Amino acid sequence: MNASGTLGYSSEIEALWGVKTLGAYVTKGLSLTPHHGNPIPRVWDERSGMINSIGLQNMGVEKFFAQHFSFFRKKKTPVIINFFGFTEEEYVRCAESIKPHPLVVALEMNLSCPNIKAGGISFGKDPDMVYRIVKRIKEVTGIPILAKLTPEVKHIAEVALAASKAGADGLTLINTMPALVVDLKRKRIPIKGGLSGPTLKPIALRAVHECAQVVSIPIIGVGGIMNADDAISFFMAGASAVQVGSATFGDPYAIPRTITGVRAYLENNGYRRVEQIMGIIDG
Amino acid sequence: MDDKVATIIENRHVVSNYFLVKLKLAGPMWKVKPGQFVMLKVPGGELFLRRPFSIFDYGRETISIMYRVVGKGTDALSRAKKNEKTLVLGPLGNGFAAPKRSKPVVITGGIGVAGVHLLAKSLGRKARIFYGCAHKDELAVMKDIMDFNPAIATLDGSRGFKGDVVSLFRREIKPSALGDIEIFTCGPHGMVKSLKKCISASKTPCQVLMEEHMACGLGLCFGCVVKTTDVEEPYKRACKEGPVFDLWQVSL
Repeated sequence: MNASGTLGYSSEIEALWGVKTLGAYVTKGLSLTPHHGNPIPRVWDERSGMINSIGLQNMGVEKFFAQHFSFFRKKKTPVIINFFGFTEEEYVRCAESIKPHPLVVALEMNLSCPNIKAGGISFGKDPDMVYRIVKRIKEVTGIPILAKLTPEVKHIAEVALAASKAGADGLTLINTMPALVVDLKRKRIPIKGGLSGPTLKPIALRAVHECAQVVSIPIIGVGGIMNADDAISFFMAGASAVQVGSATFGDPYAIPRTITGVRAYLENNGYRRVEQIMGIIDG
Repeated sequence: MDDKVATIIENRHVVSNYFLVKLKLAGPMWKVKPGQFVMLKVPGGELFLRRPFSIFDYGRETISIMYRVVGKGTDALSRAKKNEKTLVLGPLGNGFAAPKRSKPVVITGGIGVAGVHLLAKSLGRKARIFYGCAHKDELAVMKDIMDFNPAIATLDGSRGFKGDVVSLFRREIKPSALGDIEIFTCGPHGMVKSLKKCISASKTPCQVLMEEHMACGLGLCFGCVVKTTDVEEPYKRACKEGPVFDLWQVSL
């Protein structure tokens, strides 16, 4: 799959390769009401990765369905709706507003957002907050729920366990890591945002591996996957599926290349299914 | 649109911090509209993202990029050597819409020339071209267009009008003529702001080519946005809804 926010709203990549290639298309983060996003600069090259502070720009979940869902219907592409809110109520109402459809295979909760009713601390940092919010969302929707967690916590396994106990059907590990850039020449901060790309891979792998020890729900691994070898590493660490994000910006064909490479790896090593290598590093 | 393998056949210093790189494509050049751009994978390590560059010029199987060294990416590009292989993704963006009025005017300054060079060449003598720079040496970047008799403004007065290009434009174009002209522009924010003020009474049609930091160049990430007057969705992607915008819809 693609990581949320790295493949536009729907058909932007179609001129180069089709979304039918994907196991599922993960949407841009959507909210109940539209968000305009941050002023520029919103992106920054950070050598072994990049920093983004897009600011969750999105047209709102209603307009997204009105304008873009027909594209996925036409392509018969499974869709995972990534969504967020700045209060518990917003999360719940947003989840409620998404009508079930055979193509909407899951809702992915972006839990890295600040809880503005709790002083701005990120939802995903508190296992109790995560438990409460996942439980509430499970009460209002029958669509499978993935909890996407932030790596900026003391014990990610604890947060993962809370999400699982609350009924999450899966986990997406991990979101970006908060980071900063310094402009020496102008002596200022041009951008503060989320770090993504290769630099995140070892952190993401550890998060996947740690959480795989304590939960039995599927884990989707994401963080710095640039090629098939990277993807295979995540499967071996315990992931059932993977997402590719920033890699697409440097190489627009990163996703189809990775998918082809994973198939080739399995074939060349005598595996028929990915499940045969899942968690294999734990013997 | 596709991602073409390209080989550097020339990468020369033009003047000041301006360089011109010419690449041979592994395949025929795309059909391009003036104002479109490419995402170039800059050879050499230490860069994660590609860099966007206007298509300055092109041939049957070649593409030329005029650039100024302003940061890590352009610095690395200035060191790229002949015969180095790389990738060019394009053509990207909307490009300029064809002139609707009878008197097209191109106003540009500094490295902005890279954005309007193709347009100026295609309009030829149909257009009145205004170019501004700091010193006459920088006119080397205008070599091809000098045939079309551009009006020149230099800040230090070393050639043509002493002052900025918008002041020159204001002097040369009578207010009565503003009703017939259509402007195409690309250049520093200060120049564009000044131009907007100059034509705000007449609301002369004007297309502006905007440049922003980009990550993907394909409309995937929403990193390169331009603030517009659209109330519902003010931030538009420079790489997808742009890079050419209606000046009157840009919040500058």
